Formats: sequence, C-alpha cells, structure tokens
Amino acid sequence: MYRIRFHGRGGQGMKTASRILGSALFSTGFEVQDAPRYGAERRGAPIFAYVRASRAPIDERGVIQRPDLVLVADDSLIPVPAAGVLAGIDAHGLLLIRSAEPAERWRERLNAAARVIVLPITEPLLDRAALPQVGATCAGAAARLLGVVPAEALAAGIEAELGGLGARVVERNLAEAMAAYQAMAPLAGAVSEDGEIAATDYHPPDWVDLPFETARVSAPAIHAALTSELVDTGLWRSLRPEIDYDLCKGCWWVCSSLCPDGAIHVENGRPVIDYDHCKGCLVCLAVCPPHAISAHTEAVTPCAESS
Amino acid sequence: MSEQETRYRSTRDLPSLHLLGTGTPMCAGCGGLEALHQIYDQLGERSLILNAAGCMTLLAVYPYTPFRGSWLYTAMASAPAGAQGARDALDILVAQGRLPPEEDLRVVVLTGDGSAYGMGLSATSGAIERGLDFLYIVYDNEGYANTGQQYSGATPHAALTATSRLGAGFPGEKKDLFAIWVAHRPAYAATVIGAEPLDLARKVEQALAIRGPKLLLALAPCPTGWDFDPQRTVEIGRLAVQTGVWPLKEYRDGQVVHTKVPRERKPVEDYLRTQGRFRHLFEPERQDALIAAWKARVGTYWASVET
Amino acid sequence: MRRVLLTGNAAAAWGARLARVDYVPAFPITPQTEIIEALARWIDAGEMAARLVTLESEHSMITAAGAAAATGVRVFSATSSQGLLYGMEMLYTVAGWRVPWVLVNVSRGLSAPITLEPDHNDVLAARDSGFLQIHCAGCQEVLDSVLLAYRLAEDARVRLPVIVNLDGFYLSFTREPVSIPEPAEVDALLPPFDPQGLAFRAGAPLSQAVAVLGGGPYSYFRYQVQLAAQNALAVYDEIAADFAERFGRSHPAVEAYQCDDAEVVLVMMGSFATKARAAVDRLRDAGRPVGLLRPRLLRPFPAAACRRHLLGKRALAVIDQNLSPGQGGVLATELAAALYGRPGAPLLASFIGGLGGRDIPPEELFEIARVTEAAAERGETPPPRLLYTEAELRELRKLQTIAAVERDRRGPAP
Repeated sequence: MYRIRFHGRGGQGMKTASRILGSALFSTGFEVQDAPRYGAERRGAPIFAYVRASRAPIDERGVIQRPDLVLVADDSLIPVPAAGVLAGIDAHGLLLIRSAEPAERWRERLNAAARVIVLPITEPLLDRAALPQVGATCAGAAARLLGVVPAEALAAGIEAELGGLGARVVERNLAEAMAAYQAMAPLAGAVSEDGEIAATDYHPPDWVDLPFETARVSAPAIHAALTSELVDTGLWRSLRPEIDYDLCKGCWWVCSSLCPDGAIHVENGRPVIDYDHCKGCLVCLAVCPPHAISAHTEAVTPCAESS
Repeated sequence: MSEQETRYRSTRDLPSLHLLGTGTPMCAGCGGLEALHQIYDQLGERSLILNAAGCMTLLAVYPYTPFRGSWLYTAMASAPAGAQGARDALDILVAQGRLPPEEDLRVVVLTGDGSAYGMGLSATSGAIERGLDFLYIVYDNEGYANTGQQYSGATPHAALTATSRLGAGFPGEKKDLFAIWVAHRPAYAATVIGAEPLDLARKVEQALAIRGPKLLLALAPCPTGWDFDPQRTVEIGRLAVQTGVWPLKEYRDGQVVHTKVPRERKPVEDYLRTQGRFRHLFEPERQDALIAAWKARVGTYWASVET
Repeated sequence: MRRVLLTGNAAAAWGARLARVDYVPAFPITPQTEIIEALARWIDAGEMAARLVTLESEHSMITAAGAAAATGVRVFSATSSQGLLYGMEMLYTVAGWRVPWVLVNVSRGLSAPITLEPDHNDVLAARDSGFLQIHCAGCQEVLDSVLLAYRLAEDARVRLPVIVNLDGFYLSFTREPVSIPEPAEVDALLPPFDPQGLAFRAGAPLSQAVAVLGGGPYSYFRYQVQLAAQNALAVYDEIAADFAERFGRSHPAVEAYQCDDAEVVLVMMGSFATKARAAVDRLRDAGRPVGLLRPRLLRPFPAAACRRHLLGKRALAVIDQNLSPGQGGVLATELAAALYGRPGAPLLASFIGGLGGRDIPPEELFEIARVTEAAAERGETPPPRLLYTEAELRELRKLQTIAAVERDRRGPAP
C-alpha cells in the first residue's frame, strides 16, 4: 500500500492535492482512500491531507502513521512542531519539500533518516498574501514520484476535482501539475510501497491504568487566565507587517485598536507588533494613515525570534 | 374587517351546529375549551391540529377523540415544526398529484401559554420567519395549568401560583406575546376571548382567509388555576375586556387595530376581585401599592392606544 | 452503475437521492453538514425532486420529519452528536408514531468536553428510542444502508424509523470507491412509499399519538414497537438477501470475518472495525486463530446471529468506542446479555478505545488479541482496559500544567 501525506497551510489546497492524486490513482486502477484532516485550523494554519492507494481493498483508516511519501507545500512549516511534518517518516520514506533552497541545505538542517528532495520554487513570489494554490503542483510531483500514475490519469484527476471551476482553472492547474510531473521525472518511481506491521514483531503499547483524580483536576477546566497566549498563532503568518518608525506618526489608536487579534501593543506612545501572535492579516497595513506599515515575505522560520 | 365583509354581523349569525365533540376531560368551566370550540366551528374536519404539551393534550385520550378532522400530538417545544412538516408534506403530495386538493388539510397549532410564551418560542419564531401557512391557537390560562398552575411566562404580576404561593405573588410581568408575533410581521395576529364570541368568530373568519402565519391568542379564564367558581368563566372573561386588562385587537397589513375598545373602562379591581389568585391584594388587608401598579399598567396601555 | 470516489457524507446524500426522498428537514452540525449541503445543491439545480427546509433546531427537525412522514411522504434527514441529543425527546416520540423514515447520524463524541471527532456515545444514547440502527464500516455501506433502511422502515411488518450511523472524519470526510447504482435498479428495490392507511387526509379523520390512561394501553403500544423491532431481524435478512442478489454486495446483520475456526474473536462496530479486519489478517499471517465479528444492526440486536458465531469460542475481545460511566462498554454488555447462560459461552474481555476519535493502531489490536488469548489460557476474565498510553498521559500532563491543575494532582489537600 502507498501512504502519502501532504502538508501545507490552510488555503494552499492540500485537500485538493489529496483528491487529485486520489482520483488519478483510482483511475489507474488502484483502490484509494483520501481525506483532509480538518480541525479548528484556519487559513494560514498548518493542515494536512493524506492518500492511501493499494491494489486490494483498504482496511487501514485514519491518519497515516508511517508515510512512504511526505510532501511539504510550504517549507516554513518544517520547524513548526505542531505541523507534525516529519512524523513517522523513516529511512524508507521520501520527503519532498517545495523550497527555494537546495536539497543539500535541507538534508544538513534536518539530519533526517528519510531521503530529502526539493521541488524548486524558481520564481520568487511577489505576493504571498494570496497563499499560492499549490495543490495541483503537489499532486503532480507525487504522481511522478510514485511512478505508477500516467500523465493522462493525472490530467483526469485534475479534471475530476477542478472541472466544476471552469476551463481556465483546469488549464492553469494542469500546466502546474504537469510541470511538477516533468520536474520529478528523474525520480520517477522513487517511492516504494511499505508493507504492514507484522503481528509477530511490534512494539506493544505502554498502556497505563488511569488513576482517579479529583474533579478540580479531572474536569475540563482551566484554572488560569490568558493561557491562550502560549499558542504561537504567529506561525500562521506568511506575510509579515513591519512598521517603519521613520514614517510612523504614533497614532497607535488606529492600528492597535483595529488589529483583530489585539497583537499590536503600545510602548512609549508607539505601536509594537507582537509577532508571536500576529497572523499576518495585514489589517494594520490597510488602515495605517501614513502608510508606515509594509508587508514582507516570511523567512523560513517565521517565529525564529520567539524561540 | 368591515361589517359587510363578514358572515358574522350579529350574534345570531354564530354557528348553531358545533363541530368539536363533547366528552373531553377538560375542567368544567374551561375558558380555553370555550374559545377552542368556537374556533373549531370554523375549522371543521379539513384541519390537522398539531398539539403542544399542555392541558389540551388530553383532548384526545385513546380511544376517544373530539375531532372531526385530524390531530397529532407532538411535544411541548416543537408543535410549529410539526406543522411545518405536515404542511410541506401536504404541499408535496398535492404537487405530485398524490393527494386530490379536496383532501388537503388546514394546518393548525394548538398550544397553551407554557409552550407559546416559553419553550415553544424558538420553534414558533422559526415557523413565522419561514412564512409557514398555519393557524396558531394559544389558550392562555396564565400558568402551567396542566401541572397545577405554576407560574409561566404568561403569568400576570402579583398572581398567586403553585410556585408563587406566598407574599406578594408572582414578581414578574406578563410577557407581550402579541407584540412578539407582530415583531415577526406575520400575516395576521389577534387576541380573542371565548366570552366575546362575535369578535372571536370574525377574527377566525379573517384569519382563515389569509395565507401565512396567523395567531389567535385567547385569554383562557381557568377556574382551577385562577381559583374561581366555574360558572363565572364568562363573567370574568367579559370583565377582562371591560376593565381593559385583555385588549381585543388584531394585526394585519402592518397595522394594529383594537376591535373592541371599552367606552368607559370598569375599574381593574372588579376583575382582580373575582379570582382567588388575587385575593391577597384585598385580604387580610388591602395592598394599595400592588393594586395601584395594576391600574397604572392598564392605564398606560390604553393611554398609548388612545393617543 | 458508476464506481467513483465518494466521502461517507456524499454517499449518504446519494442514498437519499436514489431513494427519491420527498422531504428533507435539516439543521447544520459538524461533521454532518455536507450531507444537507449536497442535497440542497441537487435540489436547487433541479437534479433532485425534493423539498429541503432548514428548521431552527434538531428537535424541530425531527418533529417536522416525523409529521411529514405521518402525512405520507418519504423523509430523510441527518444529524450528529449534540444535535441527535437535542432532538432526543422526538426520537422516542416519532418512533411511537410508527412513522418510517431514515435519519443518518454522523457519529461525534458528546460534550463535555466538546469535540468534533467521533465515538459512538451519541448514537447509543438513541439505543432505546424505538429507532432501528444500522452501523456502517465504509462509504459503500453508507449508501447501501440508506436504501436498505427505507425498505426496512417501510415494511408493513416493521414500520419504524431507522438511524444509519457512520463515523465522523474516518468516514464522513474520507473518500473511498463507491458504486452508485442506477436509479432504475434502486426503484426496483425500493417501491414508492405506501403509508398503509396511516396518514392525514381530509375525509379520513385520524387522531395520532394521543394520550393513554393507565399502564395497560401504554404497555401494549410500546411493546408493539418491540415486536416490530424484533420482526425487523427477519425482514432485514430478507431485504439484505434481495439487495445482494440485485447488487452483488452483501450486508448481513452481523459481519463475521475469519470466525469459523477462530479461537479468539474481536468484536467491534463502525469504521474502526476495518482496522480490526486488517489486524486479523496479520494475526492469521502469524498463525493465530483470531476472527472479527461486526454487528451492523444494533437495534434490533442480532443476538441469535452473534451466538451462532461466538458460542464455542475461547474468548472475545469486545472493543467499545463508547463509555457508559459506571458500567463500561455498551457492546460488551449487549453481548454478555446475548451469551449469558448459554453452553459454550466464551470468556469476554472488555476494551474501551477510540473515544473522541482517538486512533486504535494495529499494535494495539495485536496486543488486545494477545491479552485476550492469555486470559483464555488462564481462564480468567481480565479487568476492563482503556486504550490509553503512557505517552498520552504525559502529553495530557503538559496540558494540565498549563491549565494550572498541578498542585491538586494528588487529591484534596490534607
């Protein structure tokens, strides 16, 4: 059975990627299971989707624990623990990262057991606020790496999933998917199917007997204030607003009041952005009277300064 | 409605053949049943009554039914939703040709004040906002009478009930259900009382001529819950109108019109004195403040009408 | 017939469409909402001749559904979790009306704490309502079960509403290959709804769901629901056989997998049971005589079929994706009742797992088999086991530290 996971940000088309690949594999004659992993995630937040494909009916369910292939649509997610990008990937697995940086850099940085390859981002994105839709690109790359999906099946998958959105959308996505499909040609078939865990050789679960605890402990109650500030929603951000204090007039009541997240506080009469929690909505940029706020593409590790 | 438009020009025009069967277990002297049987004279067999839990749940006790038409007991909160399902189903059947139009039914909700003013408000509001073609009959005996007259959202100020037995009686105010309906801009809404059968008959006639959500809100003097001799039901009903405590009015075409304005209102005390639930206003000593509050409430209402 | 990839939610919507339902009272709730969205889209596009009305709550939705069915149209609706419980009063009520219609429940754990992910406590709360229950393990089963459910509900020997259950996320949002039957094939399976003289019409007065005085009449009417539900066992077998003949897909009341020569049998319901099927394959690879039993019907409970497969086995591992606090797993209790006092009744080990969508990986299923085999060897029933690991508890402790419960961990201060 093939087990593939797509990681990206909410809005980048990971569900679409899983569906295109699922449909392509299905039309090739595989039994398929594909699903997005929904939660409380929002646009920009880490999200993933997965595909299983096998020549026999699939009984395995739920999140893929041991992937054969992991695709990362947005390399800024890799250092984010909550994204779980590297979960369960071992020497057998293949990790494909969409990145402007070369594979060697990632191999050094990650020191992972898995093989690491890169789908290069050739053109720098001028406007990342749009959270580029890269579902078709990821599906195209995955299809070629599996080596079992003909180009026609990939095209059929794109038509099946995006046909309702019109010919132009299909055409554009098809072009992107085929470009990725071609780019991965040297690695066609690099992904191999993993077998099943044997009932004779497995790590037994370390089950625990839950102790009784009083209701003060065991009721779902938080006995503290403001603990949500421990959540780094700054990780959702792909564009970073920056204040040019030479231009800033100090009218903090504009940006600070209108920031939906309350992530702009006031120090010495000047607004200061809390990058741990700024989600990059850019309301501040839109409302700043002297246009003192500009947007900048996030670095690979958007919250590096917070750690 | 002008005199010329109605079949009911005088009390002699009222139906002499009554369509609701006898033999029901309602209390002797029930003001709600008095109103219902008058309404039913115009509803007849081509009606489906959806009943909400209350005193009148017991109208039909297996195998005895007083209805010529149909009846479905639902629950306390959702009789209007039952009306929605039944109306939609009848419309579907007629549209599909599976039900001859002459076998179609008028859909009616029958509810006490406990449901109408409280638990059933959400379902009622929803049915009105969806423009459901139904007649909504409330027998308002100003308390949860079926369980022994505990106070409800319809209980008037200072009334003694099983849950406001001592002291100054019920501390709250009677909710204005007519106004709540009017705020929804229904097709029709009217207050009625069984003691004024001509006014009631004209309003039923009017309501049945209009499509959409229609309210008939009947004050239902309750010998058991209000503590008076059953033979005084009509007297108390007339006093409610003559003292101005129960204004008879209707809403249609965006206007509220009073259909019976007492030329000279009798003193509110005349109404209060008839009922055991208000005896504490007069015995062992007169509660001037509570009586004055009653008078002021009624006076303020009519002052707003007459200006 | 077309074979396409469909989510469980889409499969449920296709079931309703192919059943040519007339009326869909609706109310949104995750993870069910896609079902009513799909139906609304088809109806708006003119692809489906039905009327969809959004009510203001599930309580109202189930009332409207029951009232419409009582008026003689074919009704479909769907809900989940809190919604099913909000409408609970009406589940009992409309079952008592003896109106046939189908309600899809997309299972989701119940509050509190609130969650979006699945377990079976929601649908099991409806166990005693008079609704029949079909539990699905895959998306194809969802579509097929909706069709089977209408045949079952509308059969004159039954005439009760049916819940078709599927797990949130694991089926609701997961696409699998599903064969969509041709409408004509479904029409042959499922003739138009015949209200059998129990519907509202002018000229045919009918007072429905009236009060009774005294326990005698009450007992009669409620026990008639029991008799109808029991009839549903034989009727279901008949319908499932007809379905298998027409469509080549078998959906027995109880699915038995590798049970014939098994010594230990895993018992599960719902989509997680397919994981157990995979685990049974691995255990068989290792030469271990383990099987799987999956009741598809919970109401009526196919006790005789369970006995037929289970008596004479050494031990059962019942894995309940639900919890009845103060008792334990509901399926374990149901099976114990079915097997009690019968010669050859196996030892019964009870496991609670998969609460709130918590996964059950293959290693745990292997371990469940091992623990149960060992218990059978000793002849000693093990204590009920919650599937919960040290690692999970460590993670929970981190959360509890943030929630500032640490200082009271060891119980009340002296």
